[in-house]
Amino acid sequence: MKELYDVAVVGSGAAGGMSAYVLTQAGLKVLMLEVGRDYVPAAETPMFKLPAEAPLRAAQTPDKPGGFYDATVDGGYDLPGEPYTCAEGAQYQWWRARMLGGRTNHWGRLAVRYGPYDFKSYSRDGLGVDWPITYDELAPWYDRVERLIGVAGANEGLENTPDSPAGVLLPAFPLRASEYFVKRGFESMGIPVAAARLAILTRLHNGRPPCLYATPCVRGCSIGANFQSTTVLIPPARNSGNLQIRTNALVYQVDLDRKGQAAGVSFVDRRTGRHHSVRAKSVVLAASTCESARILLNSRSAQFPQGLANESGQVGRNLTDTVAIHTLAQFPALEKLPPRNDDGASMFHMYVPWWAYTQQAKKELDFPRGYHIEPYGRGALPSAGPPDISIANYAEHCVASHGLALREEMRRKFGTYFMFGGRGEMIPNDRTFVDLDPMVKDKWGIPVLRFHWQYHDYELCQAAHQRTTFREITSRLGGKIIWEPEKPPAGLNHETGTTRMGASAKDSVVNSFGQSWSVKNLFVMDGGIFASHPRSPTLTILALAWRNSSFLAEEARKGNL
Amino acid sequence: MSSPQITRRETLQWVAAALASSGFPHYAMAARPRALRETTLRGYGTDPDLNNPVVPWKRTMTGHQLQLTAQLADLILPATASAPAPSALGLPDFVDEWISAPYPEQQRDRSIILNGLGWFDAEAIRRWERPFFEVSGEHQKRLLGEAILEAAGNESTAGQFIRRFRFVVVGGYYSTPEGAKDIGYIGNVALQSFPPVSEDERAIIDAELRRLGIY
Repeated sequence: MKELYDVAVVGSGAAGGMSAYVLTQAGLKVLMLEVGRDYVPAAETPMFKLPAEAPLRAAQTPDKPGGFYDATVDGGYDLPGEPYTCAEGAQYQWWRARMLGGRTNHWGRLAVRYGPYDFKSYSRDGLGVDWPITYDELAPWYDRVERLIGVAGANEGLENTPDSPAGVLLPAFPLRASEYFVKRGFESMGIPVAAARLAILTRLHNGRPPCLYATPCVRGCSIGANFQSTTVLIPPARNSGNLQIRTNALVYQVDLDRKGQAAGVSFVDRRTGRHHSVRAKSVVLAASTCESARILLNSRSAQFPQGLANESGQVGRNLTDTVAIHTLAQFPALEKLPPRNDDGASMFHMYVPWWAYTQQAKKELDFPRGYHIEPYGRGALPSAGPPDISIANYAEHCVASHGLALREEMRRKFGTYFMFGGRGEMIPNDRTFVDLDPMVKDKWGIPVLRFHWQYHDYELCQAAHQRTTFREITSRLGGKIIWEPEKPPAGLNHETGTTRMGASAKDSVVNSFGQSWSVKNLFVMDGGIFASHPRSPTLTILALAWRNSSFLAEEARKGNL
Repeated sequence: MSSPQITRRETLQWVAAALASSGFPHYAMAARPRALRETTLRGYGTDPDLNNPVVPWKRTMTGHQLQLTAQLADLILPATASAPAPSALGLPDFVDEWISAPYPEQQRDRSIILNGLGWFDAEAIRRWERPFFEVSGEHQKRLLGEAILEAAGNESTAGQFIRRFRFVVVGGYYSTPEGAKDIGYIGNVALQSFPPVSEDERAIIDAELRRLGIY
């Protein structure tokens, strides 16, 4: 490939898709490199397909770990030939996809803003670091993203849970009957409940039709009613005439010129095993938090013996993910409701933003950072696989063992379960990071990541609080806890922090625009640049990618790169 | 039902499995065995055509096993005036699809379910000198009842069988359109808008909340 592109964008998900969208609109010639295959939601999404039509009633298998109908292609926690390792005692699980649009094709679509406190958390409690930007600096970019992708929700006026400007949000999804019940329960505890902010359309928006209120979003959406990079960002980038896409391209190195600036990237074609290099005036890494860190760590040279852009030693450090307790409960009161269509947006229509800032400020809690709650409860399309728990599992919790009594109990309890999911902020610690495994390589001989993982008491105390909250809401509403875990799992597919942004080259990888301190034409755009990780990251990835790609385009125009 | 210990372990497995994937609580729960890939070459692969699903593996049960499966499935979820029996919805074939699949969970179920089917025949022959399908309905129910008692935490052949057989039959039955209708599922149809909580629903919930002391 001899062509010289203005920008090589590595990755096509939330960050790569947005970066390509912004850069191509600015007139720059962009090559997008995606590790997986091309993916066409309009043709490939299994809309309305029934579990009975799928192998094993759509149950999870090692081939399709998200269930048969999950949008993910060639992905999951274990990819043949593309391993990662965990250091002794660590159990991290890294979800990857191998498809255009990456994980945006199946994500949960909760699109929440970070609040003013979140950008200055070190100043508030002395832990972690502050972001080098404020909420006010990012707010206009959140506005733009919400206007572009379409976010349903409501302005609730809650502490550190920012409202959007008037006219930006689409109408919220009406609550399901079961959600109204649980909402009243939380409110009786003094905990406010908010309309879920979902990147799913409730009316015609920028030419995209609204939700059909059927078919789970994790399958993707053939009509583009939810946000996927492949339906919202990549089509206009392609239509600009400025985008080329190379699929099956596993980028493993940023190439340098004699001055130590980025000259392009090298990749291996996953189908042929052949190695290629492409040239570009600037490079954007948006391969996902951990994959971008891996590329930098593998880009070693005499000038950068620790890996590229790693003079601070922070590449791979500061890995954080979401602290999550999941409690399953059943509510006899909901047995009184008649059968109803609960499909809706397939996700929860309401959520519980963190509510106890005042208690934390008064040091009444034994953990410094909060969590939000995602209450999943509805009578969903019965299936043996995700997105909902297999209908077969509910038989396990019936009193009746068989016969007409089992039939009656299954019918009575259908749609009466709630899964309460806590989504908490983790504080970076020295024992949680990624580095290169000194021994293990992937099938093409490229060193793989090794995960180190350990929660601090901050997270474990917060998880205990999550569990207590779920017990209380269940008890108040006359429910019964079916299952609750002892501890949170190591992460929730929300990796951030491994190429952290900061105010100084001494302790961060990139500046506030995602620009490498030492390699000026190298940018990181994905969740790796987050300085903290208070809640679901996707909307913030999109906002930062728009802001930082605009900066890149402007610097390119000025000839500064 | 299983003992608390068994229920807990099994629940852990399925919650972990459900959460470890995508979408819904689309998140990792606990470590999944890292070696699960080994048998997938014979499965449908990591990139199947989702709009034209096929089951690439062959069914492996004998006619006798299918007959026994039909009888037991129909005892677990007997037909009603409005809902057909499992055998009328092809559940024996689904059990065959399940236990013939190359994946680890299904391979584990294969030995449990086939051994369990053999247990019913062996017990019927030992007690009444006939295979299960030839003994009276009363004897069939008696054997099933004993197996269900075994399922309460007992790792015996019959106990393990009931737990997994019921899982597959119940899951397979209610994920058919007829089963979904019987359980009260309404949906999978395109709507113009999603209706808010109705007055009737609100009244029911408000009454329940008052009963619970929430006003």
